[in-house]
Amino acid sequence: MWAKMICLDPRTKLFMVLTVSSLAVFITNLSLLLCVLLLALAAVAFTGGNPLGLLKKLKKFLLIFVVIVFVQSIFTKGGQPVWQVLNFTVVSDLGLVRGLQMILRFFIIISSAAIMTTAKPREIIQGLVQCKIPYELAFMVTIAIRFLPILRDEVNDILTAIQLRGVNLKQIPLMKRLKTYAYLIMPMITSVLLKAQELSVAMEMRAFRAYPRRTSLRTLKMQKQDYLIIALCFFVFLLVVVLALKIK
Amino acid sequence: MIVLENVSFCYTADNWILKQVDLEIANGSCTFVVGPNGGGKTTLGKLMAGILKPSLGDVYLEQQNTKDLALFQIGTKVGYLFQEPERQIFAATVRDELAFVMDLKEMAKEEINKRVEAALERFQLKEVENSYPFQLSRGEKQRLALAAILMHQPSFLILDEPTTGLDLERKEILSQVIRQLKEQGIGMVIISHDEKFIQNHADRILMVDGGEVKDVG
Repeated sequence: MWAKMICLDPRTKLFMVLTVSSLAVFITNLSLLLCVLLLALAAVAFTGGNPLGLLKKLKKFLLIFVVIVFVQSIFTKGGQPVWQVLNFTVVSDLGLVRGLQMILRFFIIISSAAIMTTAKPREIIQGLVQCKIPYELAFMVTIAIRFLPILRDEVNDILTAIQLRGVNLKQIPLMKRLKTYAYLIMPMITSVLLKAQELSVAMEMRAFRAYPRRTSLRTLKMQKQDYLIIALCFFVFLLVVVLALKIK
Repeated sequence: MIVLENVSFCYTADNWILKQVDLEIANGSCTFVVGPNGGGKTTLGKLMAGILKPSLGDVYLEQQNTKDLALFQIGTKVGYLFQEPERQIFAATVRDELAFVMDLKEMAKEEINKRVEAALERFQLKEVENSYPFQLSRGEKQRLALAAILMHQPSFLILDEPTTGLDLERKEILSQVIRQLKEQGIGMVIISHDEKFIQNHADRILMVDGGEVKDVG
């Protein structure tokens, strides 16, 4: 609601994403990472996204977290064992911490990316171009964002189609399941390649890059609230970095 | 038999695509679904196939509620041909496409080969049996997708615009297959805009428009 009233510039949203995702990469402390995740979710809500819906989607990745904890515990030297089977450490405190760090970072990056989905594709291009990024690169970024929901629908259809052939994906033995996944990847990759091919032809037909310089009917202008939020992001970034250094 | 009882469906709240639909589709009959683009024909087909679950009401597939059936269970009763055949082609060769699900189910090799050969002949795909399916023409892909569905001998078929991309000769092959399937007692719901094809095969025509489904022939 605020976002509708405030209407942020896409460059401001991009700055918010950069701040949050950079913090996710630099910080190792768990409590600080959790704070950054809360900040990212608050930013999603502030820009007009749905943080609760996002959390529900992220729930699906919890299984990956469990796998990461086991992998980190088994392959990382050091740390105290939390769970041992016949003198072999299955879960260690270090593995648990590293697993939590990875999953929190993953959640933060996905949440921060959700901020950009609240901006219109054309505005993102314009924002990037006004940041002196070549139009071709800006266009590529927007195409990637635009095609995500289409690809999601296709993946759903592909999964539906293979199950409608009488394949129970949950109950086939592991080796056959891997073989089945190979069959699923085939139409997905082909579809992406065909789409890219068709899109490139369509772009050429509409004289993409026919002239060295492009003009735009609409230009973006930063408002007071944009500068305020960028300053706030900068302040939060410094504050969290200082806190992280002190905790070390 | 497929039965729809007081079925309503919406993708987003309060935007009803279908409203209070009551229908019965008998085995061995060929029902065509017609109507304007965006009218809800594919949605109706997906509801009948159990791919979508109704927002209100119930869909019964051979007396079992589709809400209680998993997709792989539905797949043993109903074959569904998507509008875009690329979405239901999985293997690296035409032959493997027809065989791989039976192979996953560990059927005997002789039986698999017998069925694959029959399908290749029936749908005139013998010449391209070792080709990469995604390099086939749209009509060939359509025939391959349909052949692959029929490998599992479903008792009901739902075909979403099966004549798209087919030339006159291939349409005739499809017509022959439809006649054979009808004789075998397989029920069919076909979504189509092809008037001549509809006239040749329709036992019943349903018009989907404005959320309502009407018997028009």
